[in-house]
Amino acid sequence: MVQLAGKIGRWAFLLLVLLYFAIPMIAVLFYSFSGRWTSNVLPDIWTTSHWGEAFADERLRAAFVRTVLMAFAVLILDVLIVVPAVYWQRVRNPRIRILAELSAAIPFVLPFIIIAFGILKFTGRIAPEMLGTPWIILFGHAAIAFPFLYWAVDGAMSAAHVVRLNEAAMTCGASPFQILRHVVIPNITAGLAAGGMLVFATSFGEFALVQILAGARFENVSLYSLDLLNNTTSQVEKLAVLTIVMFLVLFAISIGVVYVNRNRVSLAVPGGRAMAAEKDL
Amino acid sequence: MASEGATLQSTTGTPTPTGQSRSVMDRIGGGLAAWLPALPLLILSLLFLVLPTIELVVHSFNSNPTNLRFWTAEFWQGWTLEYWIDTLQSKGSVRAVVTSVRLGVICALISLVIGGPLAWIVSRMFTGKRSVWLSLLNVSANFGGIGLAFAYMATLGTFGMLTLIIQNTGLNFVPPEIGSFTSLVMAYEYTNVPLFVLLTLPAMAIVRGEWLEAAETCSANRWQFWRYIGLPVLSPFLAAGCLLIFTWTIGIYGLAYALGRTASTTGELRMITLQIGLTLNTGAGKEERAYVLAVILLIMACASLLAYRWMLRRALRWFN
Repeated sequence: MVQLAGKIGRWAFLLLVLLYFAIPMIAVLFYSFSGRWTSNVLPDIWTTSHWGEAFADERLRAAFVRTVLMAFAVLILDVLIVVPAVYWQRVRNPRIRILAELSAAIPFVLPFIIIAFGILKFTGRIAPEMLGTPWIILFGHAAIAFPFLYWAVDGAMSAAHVVRLNEAAMTCGASPFQILRHVVIPNITAGLAAGGMLVFATSFGEFALVQILAGARFENVSLYSLDLLNNTTSQVEKLAVLTIVMFLVLFAISIGVVYVNRNRVSLAVPGGRAMAAEKDL
Repeated sequence: MASEGATLQSTTGTPTPTGQSRSVMDRIGGGLAAWLPALPLLILSLLFLVLPTIELVVHSFNSNPTNLRFWTAEFWQGWTLEYWIDTLQSKGSVRAVVTSVRLGVICALISLVIGGPLAWIVSRMFTGKRSVWLSLLNVSANFGGIGLAFAYMATLGTFGMLTLIIQNTGLNFVPPEIGSFTSLVMAYEYTNVPLFVLLTLPAMAIVRGEWLEAAETCSANRWQFWRYIGLPVLSPFLAAGCLLIFTWTIGIYGLAYALGRTASTTGELRMITLQIGLTLNTGAGKEERAYVLAVILLIMACASLLAYRWMLRRALRWFN
């Protein structure tokens, strides 16, 4: 009897949690297909026209392209600066690690709004002409997103025994650049992929830096969404479409991360990484 | 890791000097070579993370913020506690700090109460069912910002789906106002609970099934098992998870802005992140107070993270 009650309790609990997570997603999905929805449980009229309207919207398309291009640019920049740094801290100068770990801790602890505020004031004093340009967003996003790649790449290099690979390659007379290109990178692709996807996702969904540092001068999907949310009620369905698209992109990324990390599930979140990092020490 | 680095230093780090007299240029070259590949990363983090943070802290204490030339007399005359005193005396700012802390604590506790059992159940699931739940949790943990704010309104707004469902059962249901404390807690938990589960999931594996069997053999019931064995072992991990949720919750901005902007401009809702955001966006309120609030948030986040690391180190005793 007690066991049965426990089982039912567990079932009810899981069901409630499932509903809590599922209902908002279903609601957004229904909104994107609803012609009118004011009094019934389900939309009064169903329609697919919002999807066509949304994709025909010039402003939405521009915001989307901007967001995607920015996320790719941030990803490329981070790969270019993080991989050599991690390689060098492992094979040549371990003192790099102290500074790099300290830097990686900052975006992990500080809310992005504070980082945005600081960048606004600091850049405003040093180079005010940078404000409002895509460049400041690029560097800002690269700075707040790099820890994901740093931790992933560092873990991957540790697992691939890069130090030994490096010694072997050096014995064969390879230059550091050749080693990085032909030995190290092929051995850390999984870590690179997982970290890279998180970098992409961070830039893709970011709001604080874009709003504070560029505002309307660099309208990305988050800013456009906010505008749709604030302005008129007639645009709600378009916002529903946009939210679903954003959601699907992030969904694909998170599934990708889980897949790449399938043997180390906890590493998919920053805290899990920190936990794993602690374990290494 | 450390030993790996040390051996490396001795083998490749210091090339054997060809003569006793290495020139100064060689030394500079060697020093540069030791840092060069990491320089872009370090410079980026200096310019976009370290210096901006220092800037905020200095501004909160200095009345001459346009002049950061520390070698001049004006800079040193500029130091003051005026902004801090002014901010701590302003009712609105104090309310902002209190609300943010309250929100952080309540969200962390709810995450614990829902996320703890959920993590335990998920950790005991079979692989297939488990990966379905893991994907769901991952997706929810990544859903945030403006999209989540809209999803909240689509669910519990005036014409939200859940609102309509409940009203259709005949109840006279009025959903909590958008931007109220309750609405923020509910929206925040949508990402906090999954994050908490993902954070504590690895720890759940240390409580072994055999322990439960052993306890049952000694005729302990479930409650006794959790009270005397399970929770004491897990509590440092759960506390660490709570601290991290607290740290993240007090810093959430996009979601808070989308849900609470209206309530914030009328003064009904005051939170640290919103005060800063509104000051920067509309110029409303004193900018000096925004600096002080930012530093307060910074201190709270750092303290909470340090406590988290300490707790985790305690917890990890059980791993070895």
